[in-house]
Amino acid sequence: MTQLALVIDLNVCVGCHACVTSCKEWNTSGPAGPLSDSDPYGANPSGTFFNRVQTFEVGTFPNTATVHFPKSCLHCEEPPCVPVCPTGASYKRKEDGIVLVDYDKCIGCEYCSWACPYGAREIDAKQKVMKKCTLCVDRIYSTTLPEADRRPSCVMACPTSARLFGDVHDPESVVSKAIRESAGYALMPEWGTQPANHYLPRRKTTMTIHEDELMRVDNPLKIDGKLPKPSKQQPTLDDSTSW
Amino acid sequence: MSSTSFSRNESRYFYALAALGLFIVFLGYLGMHQMEEHGHIVSGMNNQIVWGLPHVFAIFMIVAASGVLNIGSIGTVFGQAPYKIRTPLAAIIAVGLLAGGLAVLMLDLGRPDRIIIAATYFNPTSVFAWNIFLYSGFFGLAVVYLWTSMEKRMYVWSKPVGLAMFAWRVILTSGTGLIFAFLVVRQAYASALLPPMFIVLSFAWGMAVFLLVQAAMFAWNNKILDPAILKRMKNLLGLFVISSLYLVAAYHMTNLYFAKQTGFELFILRDGGIYPMMFWGGYILIGSLIPAALIYTPGLGGTKSVVTASALVVFGSFALLYVFIIGGQAYPLSIFPGYEVSSSFGDGQIAKYIPSLPEALLGFGGLAIAYLITLIGTRVFNTMPHDAAVVAAKNDA
Repeated sequence: MTQLALVIDLNVCVGCHACVTSCKEWNTSGPAGPLSDSDPYGANPSGTFFNRVQTFEVGTFPNTATVHFPKSCLHCEEPPCVPVCPTGASYKRKEDGIVLVDYDKCIGCEYCSWACPYGAREIDAKQKVMKKCTLCVDRIYSTTLPEADRRPSCVMACPTSARLFGDVHDPESVVSKAIRESAGYALMPEWGTQPANHYLPRRKTTMTIHEDELMRVDNPLKIDGKLPKPSKQQPTLDDSTSW
Repeated sequence: MSSTSFSRNESRYFYALAALGLFIVFLGYLGMHQMEEHGHIVSGMNNQIVWGLPHVFAIFMIVAASGVLNIGSIGTVFGQAPYKIRTPLAAIIAVGLLAGGLAVLMLDLGRPDRIIIAATYFNPTSVFAWNIFLYSGFFGLAVVYLWTSMEKRMYVWSKPVGLAMFAWRVILTSGTGLIFAFLVVRQAYASALLPPMFIVLSFAWGMAVFLLVQAAMFAWNNKILDPAILKRMKNLLGLFVISSLYLVAAYHMTNLYFAKQTGFELFILRDGGIYPMMFWGGYILIGSLIPAALIYTPGLGGTKSVVTASALVVFGSFALLYVFIIGGQAYPLSIFPGYEVSSSFGDGQIAKYIPSLPEALLGFGGLAIAYLITLIGTRVFNTMPHDAAVVAAKNDA
């Protein structure tokens, strides 16, 4: 079974929110929209987003680092939001593993929001139904778009290519390779939800260099010794040139 | 059924009380309309606190509805005569409370207009869907129960129907507890203790509501409840209050022992501002200890003490539910344990919630529906408990 997912490389995510805004732009005008906002330019902005960036500190001062953590629906293989939905509006597609909400069946009881361990579900204050990331299902299968553009909007927008998209069940896919080769991990695996989306951890490139490795063994000055200092009576460069 | 005639003055009072109830129902409608028209954004609820004050009212009424019928169960299932004659009154209050609770619950949905979808698309794995089935069954069964307890021809059926009602109540209140018990990812819930805790809470809350209604009816009719029966009922209330306290304590104590739950418990019990205040002051002191003292202190335990104790138990139930439902959501999901998280979405932060006027109006509107159904029901049917026969039989014995 295909299981489409995102793999997000935390090592190169710079927290620019391009994924957030591109997601909002695409989805607010598509079948998943509108993602309504309230007071967007005021003191207490509020609105519906499929994707948000969390930021957290790692380490203890002064040895700290900031991690930007984009989070959207993780399209779990065992999604806890699906069995709790009283009307069956939340469902998981068999063909590609995307978890979706049928807006026409959702009664807005928000019980799925209680069940999601990742806080990925939001109610649209105007449409009054639950919304979440669709993996741009209207985009990735769109025949009106060029092949190269049939990827989720957030993946297209990421300036550092921190977001990868593909089938995590296909061992040769770009996402499977990234998970395999860069120690990709799932968020909170202890819940047994088997999130399809994975994260690549922060990686620091370090190497050990010994002091002797910093010395040039073939330094010509070392071999030949220092050249003798010319005496003050010797002609200078100016004397020996014609100008 | 005996017919009852009403004096002109009494009718006037009745219509005045009914008008008051209707007015509060209308206020509730205004609150609902405001939220429906402008979206939940006008309420205090947000994407962290998804269930707010209306759910506190709704869950109180649903749990108390089940508990009120305990009076009937004691009579019909366990054969206690003083309780048996109170079955019709208990059934009417239960129907009223459930109607009020469900009205609030449905009108607070994101899409109350789609309630027909909830009834026609049934997801068998959802505890929420089970409850839709359990609530409708409760209604039907309560009406049949009322019929079998009031219609002489149907008396023979009162015991089996009472038994079915008893079983249904236990399952229904377990279902309400399970709505929270199944939430494994939330620190506040995910405990097998919640269904039995809700059952015992329902006994206490239902008893308190029943005693309040009964006291109002006796006062209305210038009658005094037989002291022996009052004593039995107040002792039962006291027992339920103490049992509830025990289960609530066990629930929090077990959580305190789980290291991953400690943060949440400290939030609820010590550091959470309004929540510890409501828990210790509202539920423990006002809603449990003072009522227990009013019931058991020698020299107290008269009608006034019992009515005050019942009112305080109801107050305490609201405080407990507020802490349980809203406090449980205010504490953030632990997605990055041990790390300080910030985002534009309030992740890792204690969620803020200030109940709005429309929410409060909707909640009181639901209570008013329960009040109206009880008021009209007790007038239409002869539900006034007549203890003379029971007391005489006891004296003869």
